[in-house]
Amino acid sequence: MTSAPFLLQARGIRKAFGGVEVLHGVDLDAPGGSVLALLGENGAGKSTLVKIVAGDYQPDQGEVIVGGASHAALTPLSAREHGIRMIFQELADAPTLTVAENISLGRWPTRGPFVRWDEIRRRAREVLDQLGVELDVDAPVGTLPVGERQIVEIARALSDRARCLILDEPTAALSAQETERLFGFVRRLREQGTALIYITHRLDEVAEIADRVAVLRDGGVALEGPAGDFGRADLVAAMVGRDIGEVRRPAAPASVSPAPVLRFDRASVDGAFDDVALDVRPGEVVALYGKLGSGIAEVAEAAFGLRPLSRGAIEIAGRRAKLRDPADAIAAGIGLLPADRQREGAFLVRSVAENLAAPSWWSMRTKGLFISDAREASAYGRWHEALRIRSRNDPAQLLGTLSGGNQQKVLLGRWLERRSRVLLLIEPTRGVDVGARQEIYRAIRELAAGGVGVLVATSDYEEVVQLADRAIVMARGRVAAELEADQITTQRLTEEVGG
Amino acid sequence: MTPVGTTGEAAATEPGAPAPTARKSGPGELLTRLPDIAPLVLLLLALGIFFSIKSEFFLNYDNFLNILTAAAITGIIAAPATLLMVSGQVDLSVGSALTFCGVVMAYVADKQGIFLGIVAAVAAGLLVACINGTLVTVIGVNPLITTLATLAAFAGLARVIADGQTLPLNGFSTLGTSRPFFDIPLPVIIFAVVVIGFYVLMRYTVIGRSMYAIGANPVAARLTGLRTGRLIFIGFLLSGAFVALAALINVSQLSAASTQAGNGLELSVITAVVLGGASLAGGRGTIVGTLFGLLVIAVLNNGLTLLSVNSFWQDVARGTLLALAVSFDQLRLRLTRE
Repeated sequence: MTSAPFLLQARGIRKAFGGVEVLHGVDLDAPGGSVLALLGENGAGKSTLVKIVAGDYQPDQGEVIVGGASHAALTPLSAREHGIRMIFQELADAPTLTVAENISLGRWPTRGPFVRWDEIRRRAREVLDQLGVELDVDAPVGTLPVGERQIVEIARALSDRARCLILDEPTAALSAQETERLFGFVRRLREQGTALIYITHRLDEVAEIADRVAVLRDGGVALEGPAGDFGRADLVAAMVGRDIGEVRRPAAPASVSPAPVLRFDRASVDGAFDDVALDVRPGEVVALYGKLGSGIAEVAEAAFGLRPLSRGAIEIAGRRAKLRDPADAIAAGIGLLPADRQREGAFLVRSVAENLAAPSWWSMRTKGLFISDAREASAYGRWHEALRIRSRNDPAQLLGTLSGGNQQKVLLGRWLERRSRVLLLIEPTRGVDVGARQEIYRAIRELAAGGVGVLVATSDYEEVVQLADRAIVMARGRVAAELEADQITTQRLTEEVGG
Repeated sequence: MTPVGTTGEAAATEPGAPAPTARKSGPGELLTRLPDIAPLVLLLLALGIFFSIKSEFFLNYDNFLNILTAAAITGIIAAPATLLMVSGQVDLSVGSALTFCGVVMAYVADKQGIFLGIVAAVAAGLLVACINGTLVTVIGVNPLITTLATLAAFAGLARVIADGQTLPLNGFSTLGTSRPFFDIPLPVIIFAVVVIGFYVLMRYTVIGRSMYAIGANPVAARLTGLRTGRLIFIGFLLSGAFVALAALINVSQLSAASTQAGNGLELSVITAVVLGGASLAGGRGTIVGTLFGLLVIAVLNNGLTLLSVNSFWQDVARGTLLALAVSFDQLRLRLTRE
């Protein structure tokens, strides 16, 4: 180890994927003993940049300078040798192995062919002491809460002599308490001379933890300097940039009935959300906006019978509903489009017609238990046109052969065929390309125009602006703000969610 | 031929190169478009022609009935097994459940008469099914492990009841040996009715559709309002009920209940179902496929017997066939995905 202060620099980094350049010559400095907050919208190039620094991607042009030596391209191995470690948002640990094993993962000390368990435990205790954490080193990592698993990951990086630690939205899934504790570690590491790159969406965290801040927009640095020099509004303006005026608002709904079709009456689910009150009326689109872990998806799941309420009540069309499972919720007139389409929604090896008809089978049957193919095919005919599903126009075509956007339309059509009065959508356009996204928005608006009440749980503020008549902003399991039509702007949403 | 692309760029590519939007052609296209059971039908025809040439005894009505009779017991169990496999489940306990039901039948009939013997056999089949269904749907044990456990337990229990002996049973031969029309044995007629019944159940009813959906994606099935646990339980109940029926036929044919009756039956059943195109991962498979799977195995065994091939070789042939069939299926699946 050298005694000179650590310094990591990226100079003139360019990177293209499939002919599209996503980084246009980016410079970045991460000196030891300081925290750099890296901000930017989805797609601004943050992940690509840090992956180049960590050696996961090789830049097309530019260099990464570590400790005075220039590298045209780092590999994951060489980056690690230079002390650069990244903690991913999706934890990359081995859940069934113990804390001690995870900390020494891949570098288990041996004597001859045998693993030295005493040494593994000693190392783990040493590094955890250094962080000031009390953890049972023999506990399987999978049994720990997310916040502690993250600490184990950090400990693993430290025991591997990390000098530059990249944290990718580390607080996204953490409670307020766990976040405080993480900040404690970040400060301690800074005092020990580690360089920290901290990727975040939460603007309040910048002021709290960062020494310097850099905002990426469209593959370039939009703003860079000491964190104290910029206010919240400066950061939002730098992140959102010219896009502010370009997002179009939907026209106000023609008719919204005053009686809510779905109502949360001070409902709570322990560990997920607390004291949530909301109304969805027939004919309107209500957005539930918040970051990952804010409780938005859980609210939608509770309305679909997937999470029993701890306190409070849910009313459907004015009547208190007892929702034990999704079958109850569907019978009460609720439909759900889950976030993970392929895993939770689609029957990929079954036909498009069956996928459309599945929730309606019991109402579609003729005598006794029989389903007629003709009724299934006519359901297909109705929605294939209306939703502009692009396929071979064959009811028997397998769902798995359709594109992602068209699969999503089929799953939406499922609830139209079921005549659901309330539609819950969780991240409806995640992983859907831009063109299909607009079509899905249009389909959702048409649905509302037809009298359905729509609740969209989303962490994409542009989606809220383009789609919602009203927006309910959630943060850390509670309703932070409720915005009416013209109050819904990207600026306002970004401010409310962090506050 | 007109070029598929209309822009100058697309037209500039060499003539042989397919445009990105062009339909795939060649052997891949052909393979993916064939009906699922086409290869099996061709194989059955090929085997039929081969054995007809090699043996003068193969191609006649009596031998045809022999083949169907040999397939009947396996077939009556393979029908509900197809339904279970389509829903992503598997029942390995069918062999020992058949032995158990037969022994219970003979034991009770000996003391209480034939009628109560039948009732006891059906109850025994449903008991095994309820244990399987409860462990899988209520406790959440993997079906393979659950039915492996009941396979062992009920094979043992059958031997305990029979004290390791074969229990004779007279006066109950009608079910297994009578030939009501055209000299067709009653088991073959029952086999046909069961196949038709399951065809209708799987193809045209809510339960059948739901089982496919559960097998294709259990999480999505639950999120579309299907009561997945209840439906899977029904699947195991059907399996148990038809195992009991098959056990009665078996006892009737032999006029005795053997503690070896169902040995290895689970493997024959699964071989037929998988040969017929059902996916072990669930979501795909048909009764018609299973029927042809059963027929291919029965014809192969019958033909090899007629040619006086050692029965050990029949096992080798059946294993080879299964390996080839699933490899072919996997290959085809890969082509469909591309």
